[in-house]
Amino acid sequence: MKKSERIAAIITSLGGVWIMVYGWHTLKLGTIYIPDAGLLPFLCGAGLSVLGIVWLLILRSVKEREHEREEKRRLWHRPLLALVLMALYGWAMESVGYITSTLVFVIAWQKVIEREKWLKTMIIAALGTFAMYALFVYLLKVPIPPEFFIR
Amino acid sequence: MDIFAGLFNGFAIALSGTNILFCFLGALIGTAIGVLPGLGPAATIALLLPLTYVIDSPVTAIIMMAGIYYGAMYGGSTTSILLNLPGEAASVVTCIDGYQMAKKGRAGAALGIAAIGSFIAGTVAVVGLTFFAPPLAEFALDFGPPEYFALTTLGLLLAVTLSGGSITKGLIILIVGLLLAMVGLDPISGKIRFTFGSTGLQGGFDFVTLAMGVFGLGEILYNLESMMKTEIVTTKLGKLFPTLKDWTDSKWAIFRGSVIGFFIGIIPGGGSVISSLASYAVEKKYSKHPEEFGEGALQGVAGPESANNAASSSSFIPLLTLGIPGNAAIAMIFAALMIQGITPGPFLVAEHPDVFWGVIASMYLGNAMLLVLNLPLVGLWVQMLRVPYGILAPVIVLFTVIGVYSVQNQIFDIYSMLFFAALGYGMRKLKFDPAPLPLAFVLGPMVERSLRQSLLISGGDLTIFVTRPISGTLIVIFVLLVLGQLFFYLKRMMKR
Repeated sequence: MKKSERIAAIITSLGGVWIMVYGWHTLKLGTIYIPDAGLLPFLCGAGLSVLGIVWLLILRSVKEREHEREEKRRLWHRPLLALVLMALYGWAMESVGYITSTLVFVIAWQKVIEREKWLKTMIIAALGTFAMYALFVYLLKVPIPPEFFIR
Repeated sequence: MDIFAGLFNGFAIALSGTNILFCFLGALIGTAIGVLPGLGPAATIALLLPLTYVIDSPVTAIIMMAGIYYGAMYGGSTTSILLNLPGEAASVVTCIDGYQMAKKGRAGAALGIAAIGSFIAGTVAVVGLTFFAPPLAEFALDFGPPEYFALTTLGLLLAVTLSGGSITKGLIILIVGLLLAMVGLDPISGKIRFTFGSTGLQGGFDFVTLAMGVFGLGEILYNLESMMKTEIVTTKLGKLFPTLKDWTDSKWAIFRGSVIGFFIGIIPGGGSVISSLASYAVEKKYSKHPEEFGEGALQGVAGPESANNAASSSSFIPLLTLGIPGNAAIAMIFAALMIQGITPGPFLVAEHPDVFWGVIASMYLGNAMLLVLNLPLVGLWVQMLRVPYGILAPVIVLFTVIGVYSVQNQIFDIYSMLFFAALGYGMRKLKFDPAPLPLAFVLGPMVERSLRQSLLISGGDLTIFVTRPISGTLIVIFVLLVLGQLFFYLKRMMKR
């Protein structure tokens, strides 16, 4: 964790410097009488770069804690898979339509992330899709992307 | 309109069939998410924000959102007492003595006193809100850009310093929130900022997208890292209504909790978590038997549960009177008001008395509904804890995706939400408290506008912030707070 925190602190600091340059060079600071669009971004960038350095200094003074070993045992691949599935779901919703993509998404979620049995997976997928369709389309009248076979 | 006339009108609005229904729905959903570990009130309100687009009446929408917020405070105690697992952050302290009581077969007494204490404290705080909010709103009518700049910056700083986490990390998140609020058109000069050529970003990020990503999906992603399994340790609830001795033992704890919660809830960044911690500390200090704390002391449940409910109600005061949200959940309600075209602040009571008084009156009703929901139905909530997280998580994901799509019917919003989900997940991994992010995002435009307007008014004279009495006082408090933090930090460093 300490290593990833160090990287994050450096990114914060460098990001702050970049925002300062962007605010000063591209957006312009204006004058104290008539401040321009770059003033607050510049100040925020300065704040970020300083805080990134402070964060780094704090990390140097803190010893590695015991619970960090526990952290490593956490299942980090599941959130990553979930993010990929959700990104694909967003793309599929536009390409193949809401109902088909939702069914496939829930099936994929239950099989890849939860590793559920097929029967339970199919029941959850069907009920979940139906419930969302009923709530948003019938009840709330939200227009959803149409299915690819009826376009 | 005087207070009693306003409240009378408020009850007339809150007692309409639709508003009673939505108040009940809010209280029900709030209790449910308070009971379920892994999804807090801020996340739930964020998930339900798209619904406010289809609810025609702003009063109805806000009544429901408010019900979710204070309902979650009630529900949080159930999981804390029965599972030793806080359903939401403010119930952490309840675990200490509530769970010990449950282990000794007194779960019913703990749940009962938590619900009754919550009801009393919630009602006391709403009475305070009724009488405190209108004069404060009138006072705030004199505020100009320098006062708003001083107030918002002080509020943001308090939100960071009182959150209890790392101040450095809190400030970083605060600045990130301000920067995210700047994406799109600059409101004064019309320049485009941080869009990098994307037309989708020209209108800026939508608050719903940010809130659902960081709080809803971010929390789901983080919870996916661990296999969440719930195991109810005790289902033997015993008698739910406290005995006369229980009541005698806890009445002053409830009273003190109500007062502490009310005042801490008003402070930006104060909120329910700090109030419950403060109440626990006070009860332990004033108890004749402090050794019983941690072993199942009834006052250790009554005080904190009363405090967090009082704080959740009183945190509406800065929102409704100054337009300043004090915590993440209230920031979501701020956004819900904005979605309905209503700007919270000192003009709210005069321009939208129906919203102002309707919401306050609904809180009296909501508190009574929650007492009914929490005492006789506690068995039902216990059963709900058996729903596996593996089923809840994909359902919530489906809800967020279609919910965020429904706002503008754009797939781009789904990708924006995924970006915020990754940000929210990263924040939790790096031990950042995400609460200051929505506050900064909501208050960012106000901070920038008031700063630039103040400089324009004064012709670039920075003393405008200190020469006006209200802004001057707020700036002095701000400076003292910063110096105080620096002093304690240096003192800690010297000790090492």
